[in-house]
Amino acid sequence: MEHIDKNAQLEAAKALVTAIEQDDAAQIQSQLAILSIARESELFQEIGKMTRELHEALSNFNVDPRLVDLTQNDMPNTRNRLNYVIQTTEEAAHKTLGYIDQTLPLANELKLNADLIDKSWHRFRMREMSVEEFRALSREIEAYLPVVKAHADNIHQNLSEMTLAQGFQDLTGQVLKQVISLVEEVEDNLVRLVKVAGQHADFNAERKKDHNPIKAEGPQINAKDNPNVMKNQDDVDDLLSSLGF
Amino acid sequence: MKILIVDDFSTMRRIIKNLLRDLGFNNTVEADDGLTALPILKTGTIDFLVTDWNMPGMQGIDLLKTVRADEKLSTLPVLMVTAETKREQIIEAAQAGVNGYIVKPFTAATLKEKIEKIFERINAQQAQ
Repeated sequence: MEHIDKNAQLEAAKALVTAIEQDDAAQIQSQLAILSIARESELFQEIGKMTRELHEALSNFNVDPRLVDLTQNDMPNTRNRLNYVIQTTEEAAHKTLGYIDQTLPLANELKLNADLIDKSWHRFRMREMSVEEFRALSREIEAYLPVVKAHADNIHQNLSEMTLAQGFQDLTGQVLKQVISLVEEVEDNLVRLVKVAGQHADFNAERKKDHNPIKAEGPQINAKDNPNVMKNQDDVDDLLSSLGF
Repeated sequence: MKILIVDDFSTMRRIIKNLLRDLGFNNTVEADDGLTALPILKTGTIDFLVTDWNMPGMQGIDLLKTVRADEKLSTLPVLMVTAETKREQIIEAAQAGVNGYIVKPFTAATLKEKIEKIFERINAQQAQ
């Protein structure tokens, strides 16, 4: 089609030149009309092509209803899941700390009483103890042994509870894995979206995220790969002492 | 000695509180960020501040700067206990006048060591 157009245009152009040379006004008008019609039809073709591209881009945009679903359902759901992780880990930590609070005084009491009996027992072995004192010591030991048993039972039970409290790792681990797979899916969809919508976007544009070196970032996940991050307390102490701290 | 513990996670506050108790510091109060810490500090009853860095509201580094800029609080000893470990952050905290910097996760021994060092230095300064 383009070939035919070209020949027709060439003929019209030659005829136009001849008409101008011959001062044939009517012929000049009619040849000019032929040429502008050809030009307009090219313009229409170009507009038609752009319209098709736009239509395709728009329909690709709708290709994945999953994106809508992700935004409307999965994202709020993920927020809930992550809040569940915070809440569950917090509960587990408090539960464990609670059992520790219950256990430490038991261990302390056992130690203090054992210390006292140990000292008395030492005096008895050194024959520094009167009969009366020995009777008192016997009573102390007799009272102490059931306490040891009861406290040991309690300590055992508390330790078992602490073990059970670690079950949060299984639950939160499962939830976090779900979140990871959702993040992967969102990433995949976003990449496709960028490919469709951003054909003319400037991918070389630098990320304009303003970089604040002291912005709080929480724990560094890839500390090993980042020379700017202190790996442990010793690194921090070295840095501070290099600053004359 | 009254110590203010500032951290947005209640478990961390509890851990620090328990460790301090083991070190013989029984008098502690808690706040969950800089904004809630400031009114407590302004009462003038706090002798030592232990603060996290990353918190909603007012962050630890800003709390530290605010304390140093306040005439009545400027000499308050401040220990930062944080997961922030970038070189620039530690330098910033040092320049802002932090007295000790502990990175999480930390041990009871580290906490003890840093607190002892802070008081050693303060006592040495007072003796001069």
